[in-house]
Amino acid sequence: MVLSQKLHEAFKGTVERITSHRTVSAFKEKGVLSVTEFIIAGDNLVSKCPTWSWESGEPSKRKPYLPAEKQFLITRNVPCLRRAASVEEEYEAAGGEVLLDNEDNDGWLATHGKPRETKEDEEDNLPSMDSLEIGKKNSIQSIPSYFGGEEDEDIPDMAEYEEPDNLIETDPATLQSTYLVAHEPDDDNILRTRTYDVSITYDKYYQTPRVWLTGYDESRMLLRPELVLEDVSQDHARKTVTIEDHPHLPGKHASVHPCRHGAVMKKIIDVLMSRGVEPEVDKYLFLFLKFVASVIPTIEYDYTMDFDLGSSSR
Amino acid sequence: MADASEKKPILQFAPFQSVVDEGFWHRLSSLKLNKLGIDDSPVPISGFYAPCSHAQVSNHLTLLSESLPTEASEQAACTSSVSLGNRNKCSVPGTIYNTNTLEGYHALDKQSLLKAEAKKIWDDIHSGKALEDSAALSRFLIISFADLKKWNFYYWFAFPALVLEPAATLVGIKPASQWLSPEEAEYLSAACREWRNSNLTADVPFFLVSIASDSSATIRHLKDWEACKGNGHKLLFGFYDPCHLPHNPGWPLRNYLTLIFIKWNIRRIHFLCYRENRGFADMGLSLVGEALISVPEVWKDLNSVPNAVGWEYNMGKKGSKCVNLAKAMDPTKLAIAAA
Repeated sequence: MVLSQKLHEAFKGTVERITSHRTVSAFKEKGVLSVTEFIIAGDNLVSKCPTWSWESGEPSKRKPYLPAEKQFLITRNVPCLRRAASVEEEYEAAGGEVLLDNEDNDGWLATHGKPRETKEDEEDNLPSMDSLEIGKKNSIQSIPSYFGGEEDEDIPDMAEYEEPDNLIETDPATLQSTYLVAHEPDDDNILRTRTYDVSITYDKYYQTPRVWLTGYDESRMLLRPELVLEDVSQDHARKTVTIEDHPHLPGKHASVHPCRHGAVMKKIIDVLMSRGVEPEVDKYLFLFLKFVASVIPTIEYDYTMDFDLGSSSR
Repeated sequence: MADASEKKPILQFAPFQSVVDEGFWHRLSSLKLNKLGIDDSPVPISGFYAPCSHAQVSNHLTLLSESLPTEASEQAACTSSVSLGNRNKCSVPGTIYNTNTLEGYHALDKQSLLKAEAKKIWDDIHSGKALEDSAALSRFLIISFADLKKWNFYYWFAFPALVLEPAATLVGIKPASQWLSPEEAEYLSAACREWRNSNLTADVPFFLVSIASDSSATIRHLKDWEACKGNGHKLLFGFYDPCHLPHNPGWPLRNYLTLIFIKWNIRRIHFLCYRENRGFADMGLSLVGEALISVPEVWKDLNSVPNAVGWEYNMGKKGSKCVNLAKAMDPTKLAIAAA
């Protein structure tokens, strides 16, 4: 599995080196972008959504086919107030209720509905327990250090190094309340607000943008990439979302694999065109980010929509 | 106007919070191995911050790999101009004290380091340098030990704040949209948009806002104080506020108040905590507050540096943070992961 991934990377790298980049637009035909179109779409994203900016990344990783100061797009400190997994549970619970309503008119089915109802009552109490458990697990694992995996016996215990009393600053003007918690959900005391740096790179092999996620936990310490998967829709976790080297930044990051991006974008473009909307290439990233939102539904990055995709996006 | 003698609450500031990108530790490691060696003298670095851009989370002071100097051999010319005027990355000067041993790290005299950094801020205020380059008001320091055998990075931030004694009191604070008239709010939003969209001013975190009787708003650099004073306009001292809280200003206001008092001798200060929503000025999130400061005259003496506070809280307590990057840096682990 990992080996095949490596082989594929090597293959991809070779293809990228020997092929010249796309110069003819195939945006409407294949849902893909040329390098120039990526820059146009990126410029438009930055101007409409100013929390996004272009960056140059590591000098050693710079791609020659992109301008030095426009290597990739990034938006930092994007809040993620809850885990995607817990949202899906609640969604299912709500779906159950609707089903019950539909069956309500039918006297014969009413008895059938009864056990469902009690089951739902139980569930009413349960989801918060579930999410609570998720929250607990995270906060315990992530506090001292981010890569605190099972096999890491080298994690230092900072408690040994309690600071001497003379450093205690008594200052009435320092806000002492645990300000981190201020806007957490009121129903329990578990901190859930993570933040993300979301970046978009250009994948020359697939000729589409590619999204990368760097997570930070409640105390703004780096999040292990594996924990990032909790913020990915469960349909996509471990399938379309993989953990790989970032093309412009050091380290491993979670990424939505771009192999289907062209096809999905093509489908979205087709739907728009069938409705008489002529998609423009500078809007590509808005459509793209709208589609990515179905993969990472709780990460509240910014994309404004210039036109409505309606229900067809799902 | 309210009498200063009546009991007013103390103005409390939400502490700054730090975030360190993985890239920072990667570059620090390679700097240490390839260039610095056992030289542990302090290195000037840059941190980055931006106004709060979401009602539910504060912004942070962020260290990225470009916070550190490059390894000379790498193209020096290429990186210098890149992040100029980036509205999402206002550069703040800082210093890193990276020790060679864990013992050395724990032995650092944190009080004096904080004091030394605070003195730089104090001197910049008195010399007027802080008027030219206002980001110097938010100067910070970080102490660290990079254990390159186990890939553990110990670190602790400080955001030095000169302490006002007695503390400033708060007359009132509320959303800018309530403090301003609708016309004023509209003009101010437009002026802020212009300031934030220009490459020349987007990353200038402290500024003067003057609102004329016809509601029109102008934003100026601190150094253009003379143009604002005494023209009868409403004057607000604006700053990019990283904090999201509805009743408290963020940390950068602390040294700003000191500057306003020292340079212009103003004791009743109207400040604007400038905040954004999704990258656009938001007068509902932004706050206008009124603070009163009463400071003994001795304070004007350049040689008596006021007390400073500002070591970062880590999970509600003062203490170091540690991050382990073995999975991203250890060649053995990388080899296993790749197999």
